[in-house]
Amino acid sequence: MKRIGCALALAAALVLAAGWAPSLDYPRSPVSIIVPYGAGGGTDLIGRALADTVKGSFPRGIAVENRLGGGGSVGMSYGQNARPDGNIITNITVELVTLPHTGTGGDISHEKFIPLIMFNSTYSAVTVQKSSPHNTLKDLLTAAKTDPIQVGNSGIGAIWHLAAASLEQAAGVEFIHVPFDGAAPAITSLLGGHIDAVTVSYAEVVSQVDAGELKVLAVLAPQRLPVAPDIPTATELGYNVSVGSWRGFGVPLNTPPEIVAWLEKTFTDGVNSPGFVKFMKDTKNDIELLSSAEYAKRLARDYEMFGKLINDLGLSK
Amino acid sequence: MDNHVSLAFWAALEWSNLFYAFFGTFVGIAVGAMPGLSSVMGLTIVLPFTFTIDGTGGFFMLLGVFCGAIYGGSITAILINTPGTANSAATCLDGYPMAKRGEAGRALSLSTLASTVGGLFSAFLLLWTSPLLARIATNFASPEYFALAVFGLSIVARVSSDSILKSLIAAAFGLFLATVGLDLFSGHPRFTFGTVYLMGGVAMVPLLIGMYAFAQGLTSAEESGRGVLPPSQHKITGILPRWDDLKAISGTLLRSSLIGSIIGAIPGTGGDIASWVAYNEAKRWSKRPEKFGTGVPEGVAAPEAGNNAVSGGALIPLLTLGIPGDAGTAVMLGAFMMHGIVPGPLLFRDHTVEVYTIIFGLFLANIFMCLLGYAGLRLFAKIPSIPMPTLLPIVFIFCFIGAFALNNNVDDIYFMIVTGVVGYALIKLGFSAPPLILGLILGGIVENNLTRSLVLSNGSLAIFFTRPISCVLMLIALSTLFVPAIRFAVKQFRRQPPAAKAA
Repeated sequence: MKRIGCALALAAALVLAAGWAPSLDYPRSPVSIIVPYGAGGGTDLIGRALADTVKGSFPRGIAVENRLGGGGSVGMSYGQNARPDGNIITNITVELVTLPHTGTGGDISHEKFIPLIMFNSTYSAVTVQKSSPHNTLKDLLTAAKTDPIQVGNSGIGAIWHLAAASLEQAAGVEFIHVPFDGAAPAITSLLGGHIDAVTVSYAEVVSQVDAGELKVLAVLAPQRLPVAPDIPTATELGYNVSVGSWRGFGVPLNTPPEIVAWLEKTFTDGVNSPGFVKFMKDTKNDIELLSSAEYAKRLARDYEMFGKLINDLGLSK
Repeated sequence: MDNHVSLAFWAALEWSNLFYAFFGTFVGIAVGAMPGLSSVMGLTIVLPFTFTIDGTGGFFMLLGVFCGAIYGGSITAILINTPGTANSAATCLDGYPMAKRGEAGRALSLSTLASTVGGLFSAFLLLWTSPLLARIATNFASPEYFALAVFGLSIVARVSSDSILKSLIAAAFGLFLATVGLDLFSGHPRFTFGTVYLMGGVAMVPLLIGMYAFAQGLTSAEESGRGVLPPSQHKITGILPRWDDLKAISGTLLRSSLIGSIIGAIPGTGGDIASWVAYNEAKRWSKRPEKFGTGVPEGVAAPEAGNNAVSGGALIPLLTLGIPGDAGTAVMLGAFMMHGIVPGPLLFRDHTVEVYTIIFGLFLANIFMCLLGYAGLRLFAKIPSIPMPTLLPIVFIFCFIGAFALNNNVDDIYFMIVTGVVGYALIKLGFSAPPLILGLILGGIVENNLTRSLVLSNGSLAIFFTRPISCVLMLIALSTLFVPAIRFAVKQFRRQPPAAKAA
């Protein structure tokens, strides 16, 4: 009898554990996604699209908040120092592992984040006006040997500045780097013919390329982009340069593991949802999905890699 | 093409669309009128609803919020000297003195009319001249932004009549506040005292609430405690604007609407700058500039027509270039993307009917704004008649809610209180808030674009005078600064000969 009682109690405990044990008290409050760049840029739009696909899982709401400045360090610093309760999620970008090397990142560090997922990667596209006399990457780089070529980027030390700088290094030329507060104003300036080129991501210039306003001379990618198979890579053209960015979500260190697991699953489902896949296809962005564990390894690897690149370029602090 | 336009016209007049536009405008006015609740916040609140609405209805709601919030900000600016949003800070200058005289109804009536005219004017421009104005947007590069911001700063010399020295000090303090935060060009933190809170710069909304609402509340409490403040008597004779007022403001309305539309079309500049420029130009062209600041109808109409005209202008770079000029249009860009519409140069070709339907939606939003404004006017105008002991606690509560609601951040409340106390001290010392606000709004634009221009020109200052738009703006700025001084000198000079004769 006693045994049966024990067994029953055990069974009941198991049922309880299976049924109710992970009674996660989250999300209880509205959740913010901090986008460290200007509204309307590539990071912002993808962040908003992903936030929208998962909004059903956040009964109190999930909102995107732009905190810009310092090439991304303002928003990411805010995010890493937020209370580790999962209510502040940060849209982390490659600047998290580049700015600490250039000494312009304030206190940001990839070791102060738990990465949730990575959902996108993108590479620099060397883009000029359609009417530009430069029709190939070689034209542009040859011209840069004699004339000042003004190249717009999304902030000093930001990834698209590094892209232009490593292209300079590979080709043995010098550009005049013009920093803007995000990619959108840099593209606007190129459209008006105020600068000669931009080295921002392909996704950010594609609508102007389709409309015949701008043309892409080359992408700084390891291989041709699936969304743009006709555009050559710089490597094919003899310049061994590949600089790209990724986007993902992270939460502050010490966020409870059950919240991290819940967020990882929720956002993974969001990335795989038909709506998000269609959005990414429509806006010509590539999806590259990494889990929390894989993403942590990638962060460590890229931190090393960019440290070397930035040091080689003489941009380190 | 014509077929598309008429299709779009009838699509815009569907019952559901009318309802969404009406609802959005209502929400917008309510949000705009609460200090601290901004149009961006209103837009993000209704955004999730718009995803569930098929077709263009969601955009009608967003447009309603967008327009309504700009107008709503003027209501509190006029009644309690507290701009509901930064767009209406200039409206305080003449709106509040007019309301203080017991003519709150007249001021509200003027601002409602001016807002509607400005909004409709810009909608017409959006409908007919988008490609042309889109070119203005791309013609604006760093030197032009710098020149525009310098022109904006030169307005300090005009908006405050009391003491030019004190205005300049306040403007310089505003410029200083604008340097707080991480530097765009080097990424170094400046004046952050090691705090993360100040890394992103001085928070604008808590500062506005503190400087205006909180400081004004403290002053009113003090005056009311001493029994200085007589209970306001407000008689509302009619809700429609008077004929002589209409005649007085007609030129101002057109000029301000044009200014607002153009400034709106430039990415990165919005209703806050447009309203100051419109006010300044109204004063420049007026036959009685010395009366500005005492409650003249042009002083109310100019900023309100200017800031509401931004609504149509701001949609131009969004629709034609796919570039959102401010946070509000960025939310709309998100809404477009979610509906599978990618704004940009191909939008008018690929989604003709949708685009024209949306443009007609802007007309609707402005018409509803007008109807709601006049319908609510008698109610709004009673607010100043509420006794101070009742009104002030409500104002203070809204100060706290507004500051906190922005980012759900308690630090914003502390910052609001600090700026409120500073604002109170400034009032007591005879400084006024507008130059400080102007300095803060324009400081970042001035600094970043000066540096960027000099990078582009390889360090030569000539870049500001060799480019036509920038040169014209610089000359206007210089004339704004020096014409009053020259006029004064000429007057002195003319006065001298008779004096010399007498001697």
